[in-house]
Amino acid sequence: MSELKKFYLTKEGLDNFKREYETLKELRIDKARGKVPEIWESEDLNPEYLSFREDVNLLDSKLFELENILKNSKLIKKPLHDKQNIVDFGATILIEVDGQKDEFTLVSSVESNPTLGKISDESPVGRALLGRRVGDEVVISSPIKTIYKIKKIKYN
Amino acid sequence: MKELLDFFHKIGKLKKMPRRGWVIRDIKNPETIAEHTFRVAIMAWFLAKKKEKLNIERIIKIALIHDLCEVYAGDITPYDSILPKNKKKREELMKIWPRFSNSQKKKLAKRKYNKEKESLEKLTAKLPSDLKKEIKNLWLDYEKGLTSEGRFFRQTDRVENFLQAMEYWQKYKNPPQGPWWIWARELFDEPIVLELIKEMDKKFHKKKKPRV
Repeated sequence: MSELKKFYLTKEGLDNFKREYETLKELRIDKARGKVPEIWESEDLNPEYLSFREDVNLLDSKLFELENILKNSKLIKKPLHDKQNIVDFGATILIEVDGQKDEFTLVSSVESNPTLGKISDESPVGRALLGRRVGDEVVISSPIKTIYKIKKIKYN
Repeated sequence: MKELLDFFHKIGKLKKMPRRGWVIRDIKNPETIAEHTFRVAIMAWFLAKKKEKLNIERIIKIALIHDLCEVYAGDITPYDSILPKNKKKREELMKIWPRFSNSQKKKLAKRKYNKEKESLEKLTAKLPSDLKKEIKNLWLDYEKGLTSEGRFFRQTDRVENFLQAMEYWQKYKNPPQGPWWIWARELFDEPIVLELIKEMDKKFHKKKKPRV
């Protein structure tokens, strides 16, 4: 991951990364002191954090990654009213593809999760949608021609 | 040792379990889950070497365990909730990539995650605690993309699936290529995986361009 890369994050994404960083940093301090608080023994704790309880190297590399993201992050701001019909980071785009409707939220790679509709700006479709407007037909034709019709753009 | 032997015996089932994505597409003699695991482990290893700072041992371990949960959960596909019993209708459905609203996507992903997590816990229940924890943590990394390794492997896993689809298409003219390409261009953003896909396009479409 490049140190100079900017991470455009939604408010939700930034809050999640901050929360994760604070929790894991606390765990790292406790581990260095040779103690792990009781909460880390609880199965109620977010299972994702539990992965880092066992492995200090993994914890350190995750902390390094999170520090890099937070240091180089830029919060996505809702665009001004007259720009809200243009696809930018954080936009939820209602599209029509081959007669079917779908919705994507355009995010940066570190926040992307296509299974949940969060499309990366570095994916071919994400790249092609960026900067386009409501009513535009975005054609991607390598190797099969597909038309993405932008029906609506929403910003939260 | 008895617990280990029981575990090895159970995961041996994956050598015979066909991948459901091919079964619903009526592919003859479809690959098994273990066959997919074999190739994706090698692909992940070699592709990860092209990137800096990735822990290849972790990636290969993620590859080896990522589908173990399917011993009990079975192989879940995005089509499952909308799959018609009628063969003709099913063939029609396979020509498109299934679309859902973001709330449906969340619901389907949660259902799949819970089923697979339960299955993995059942499968590993009697393993020594260190192995049980390690498998669970590696699987969570794959599922949630907790580390760069987990996120890299997730894309490699999908691109192996894509490569297999292309190979079947070349052999049987099935599955239809359209939905795979649409899916790939929305899903992949890892430059090395995108480079591999470009090569796949060149290799498989030298003579014939795919149609939707």
